[in-house]
Amino acid sequence: MKQQTKKRANYFGWFFLLAVAISYITLAFASPDKASQSLLHALDILKQVIPILAVVLFLTALLNTFVQPKSIAGHLGKESGIKGWLLALTGGLLSHGSTYIWYPILQDLRLNGARNGLIVAFFYARAIKLPWLPMMISYFGLTFTLTLSFYTLLGALFQGLIADKLLEKPKD
Amino acid sequence: MKAVQSLYTIAPMLLATIGVVGLFQTFISPETLHALFSGSIWSDTFVGTLVGGVSVGQPVISYVIGGELLEEGISLYAITAFILAWVTLGVVQLPLEASIFGARFTLVRNVLTVVFAMLIAFAVGMTISLLA
Repeated sequence: MKQQTKKRANYFGWFFLLAVAISYITLAFASPDKASQSLLHALDILKQVIPILAVVLFLTALLNTFVQPKSIAGHLGKESGIKGWLLALTGGLLSHGSTYIWYPILQDLRLNGARNGLIVAFFYARAIKLPWLPMMISYFGLTFTLTLSFYTLLGALFQGLIADKLLEKPKD
Repeated sequence: MKAVQSLYTIAPMLLATIGVVGLFQTFISPETLHALFSGSIWSDTFVGTLVGGVSVGQPVISYVIGGELLEEGISLYAITAFILAWVTLGVVQLPLEASIFGARFTLVRNVLTVVFAMLIAFAVGMTISLLA
């Protein structure tokens, strides 16, 4: 099942990449300036992504080597309770880089027993960007920043709880 | 080894997503975004969520655009929804997310994100009004 999902993701990925490459080539003929501008933007993003991707890869390797699926299920599974929520929210707060970089490691955790709700909460808690908070304060003020951060964390928790209910597997 | 396999699986989709983000950054300018707001709190909050959801880039870009929109009279509700959706929603990343987590998980997560962007925007707007 897991293998099948990975294969499907891989085929779709190559197809998607081909479609994007064709879009760039078409754009290069229609508007070379826009095409090179887009390519430069993409390369900039790639440069930012690579170091974080390396860290995520390292974390995934560590996780796969030293953390047993049973232990993941204990910390992030059905019985994880408040500890699980705290781990998910804190992890989301502290994680860096683009969201998609975290997909493989989160899916690994999920396949090893982590609850859907905790993954959803992790994703939403990432909306609070700690390094950018001073910038947000300078644009919108301290009250706005604190209020938004508070409601975002609360929202992450509620979304996780709702997702757990909605994505619950029917009991046989 | 498993980690490298995971990377190999997502690499084409990751590169494609980055390519699409590059195209979006070229074609969707702050001026394009501003033209979409009408002045009504309700519809602007909804538009803010959608526009934030399709926009891509560093969070700081959403602060700069949000700050400009606020100065031009767009409501704080709409700006909050826009900033939140910018970092929590990713229309460009949807195919990648669905291929890794599955369609059901992706649908539930993203619908919740849209709904909560608007709910939180209203909660923040009302709290700020009460505190002012």
